[in-house]
Amino acid sequence: MVKIVVPGEVISEAPKPTNFAFVENGKTYSSALALFDEVNFRLIPLEGAYIPNINDIVVGVISEVKFAGYTVDIKSPYMGFLPGKELRVELQLGDVVSAKVREVDEVKNIILSFPRKLIGGEILEILSVKVPRVIGKKNSMLDMIKEVTKSEILVGKNGRVWIKGGNSAVAAGAILKIEKEAHILGLTDRINAFLKEESKS
Amino acid sequence: MEKMKLIIDGKRLDGRDLSELRPIKIQAGILNKADGSAYIEWGKNKILAAVYGPRECIPHHEASPYRAVIHCRYSMAPFSSLEEHGRSGPSRRSMEISKVIREVFENVIITEQFPKTAIDIFIEILQADGGTRCAGITAAAVALANAGIPMKDLPCAVAAVKIDGQIGVDSAKLEDNFGEGDMPIAIATRKNELLLIQMDGMMSKEEFLKAISMAVEASSKINALQTQALRELYSTKIGEIGPEESD
Amino acid sequence: MDILDEIKKDYVQDLIRKSKRADERDFFSYRKIKVEKGIFPAAEGSARVRLGDTQVVVGVKLGVGEPFSDRPDEGVLSTSAELLPLASPTFEPGPPDESAIELARVVDRGIRSSSAVNLHSLFIEDNLVWALFLDIYVLDHDGNLIDASALAAMAALSNAKLPKYEDGKILRDESSGGLKIDNKAVTCTFAKIDSKIVLDPSLDEEKAMDARLTIATTPTNICAIQKGGKGGFLIDEISELIDLSFKNGDGLRKLIE
Repeated sequence: MVKIVVPGEVISEAPKPTNFAFVENGKTYSSALALFDEVNFRLIPLEGAYIPNINDIVVGVISEVKFAGYTVDIKSPYMGFLPGKELRVELQLGDVVSAKVREVDEVKNIILSFPRKLIGGEILEILSVKVPRVIGKKNSMLDMIKEVTKSEILVGKNGRVWIKGGNSAVAAGAILKIEKEAHILGLTDRINAFLKEESKS
Repeated sequence: MEKMKLIIDGKRLDGRDLSELRPIKIQAGILNKADGSAYIEWGKNKILAAVYGPRECIPHHEASPYRAVIHCRYSMAPFSSLEEHGRSGPSRRSMEISKVIREVFENVIITEQFPKTAIDIFIEILQADGGTRCAGITAAAVALANAGIPMKDLPCAVAAVKIDGQIGVDSAKLEDNFGEGDMPIAIATRKNELLLIQMDGMMSKEEFLKAISMAVEASSKINALQTQALRELYSTKIGEIGPEESD
Repeated sequence: MDILDEIKKDYVQDLIRKSKRADERDFFSYRKIKVEKGIFPAAEGSARVRLGDTQVVVGVKLGVGEPFSDRPDEGVLSTSAELLPLASPTFEPGPPDESAIELARVVDRGIRSSSAVNLHSLFIEDNLVWALFLDIYVLDHDGNLIDASALAAMAALSNAKLPKYEDGKILRDESSGGLKIDNKAVTCTFAKIDSKIVLDPSLDEEKAMDARLTIATTPTNICAIQKGGKGGFLIDEISELIDLSFKNGDGLRKLIE
């Protein structure tokens, strides 16, 4: 049984801490607007800003060149920082990069590492909470899109997607469709049908 | 000047019972750019609520290293009144209302999750007919949920009223003007805790307790409408909701 | 809030948990209150209230003007408050901020709702009424500005003299009597700290509080309520505070006789 729950809605009469929930007076409540999967007892948020976690791969844009490194816009309330001294590439304002989140401290200073310049292509922005559906179990969804469109696609955990080459318009269309319909059953089949249909034209 | 009668044969001027709410319609996610939004029509009130955030806290010196800062702006459009053209810009009344509304959301938003940021709430009164702060809070809660802001509750608000010596809920502007008491409240339904309470007028303690209990009862109906608006946004004709496999 | 404030906050909360207050008061006792009336003879009415170390003065000035169109036979009451920069290191010069606005509006509400001042008695003639200006000046902030200001406002009103209006001129040296006071509205402000509630919070207690509730009363009715802060109140708590407000109200009213 799956249903949409709102913040403050009871999901269990017993204390059962889980992501996006809180326990109060022995009961468990959702703190998010989310899908509540009763069977697996988990909450899948339907909306939300991207808050970086260690080891996330993100797609960012260099927004400031500083003396010690670069400030990176990672589509989050928090800016990322790429320390300059370990870098072998020189980056410029406006460069699009993929990077790994190396460090997140308690006041949310975000340190990035392993930047890779992404040249050409286009950037698509989707809700970061939908990223797992775009990737799919064991990359299945993403692989399906790549195979049909032959595009190079990099999905940042922060909801920025870099698409280059191949039938990039169809790839973008598929990804946006996933974002819109992620919470409706039968998604894989629908995307499959969409890719086949769009590839014909 | 003879005082206007607000209750005739047990019915209010608009035909309602004392415990009856005006018709309420809520739509979530109606703006494109805002992170979250909601539109509410409550009687003749037409109110838009929007949320941006968490985002950079401006001014910077207000930011907290421990939590998100909440900003709230309640504002009435110059064309919102049923009477004359109003002035633009904040009035003392709208500043006080902005403060008490902000305090409602400072309570329910889990601000510790977003240190150094701000969450900006905007409530625009496009057409006003009494009870705008309550309708504004009700819409703003929906907008915050739509923005994915984590909260402990979905607060809603409603005003209790004393008219012609009797206690009722949800006053329209005329009842506000000529009634003997107006008491807006905002409530966190999971704990039945009052997050906003203001009163002006004259009430005995017994009248106050009756007013509060009527308002609390009405609030559960309003809360159901908020939840419904959010569920409706994500429900769809193309299929059943459900999570599929993902890592 | 700076580091020192955080330390004080912990100290206050700790005391409250042990059912104590820093100045050793009971949870529901006021600090020492001193009321002086008529301290500024240039104003038509005035008063100073000292509530512990908090100090507020209120001035009443009368003018004439047009009534509001929906209340043509009533005088006009206008209340404003200034948190003077000299009252606290945290008050900055400038137009009233939300705290000053809230203070003025809450004090006004208690007075207006209870018809403390009989506004009908301020009617002069067609389209001409007395306009009553209440100005709250906070001089020293050690908490509970609302109760100090409301008490000073009521004291100033009860001491105010209506000038004479003759041949289109206001004669301030002559008086046509005191203002007609129908009710003495007083306020009681409570602070919720760590789930416990105290009356008349000091500044340190205000910094440690989660929420504040102000209840304005006449001898028999509640005439205004205002909750502030991000905490919440349960109905049972408010019910108890209403009883305490009525209980303390009489004592406060005696101070402004």
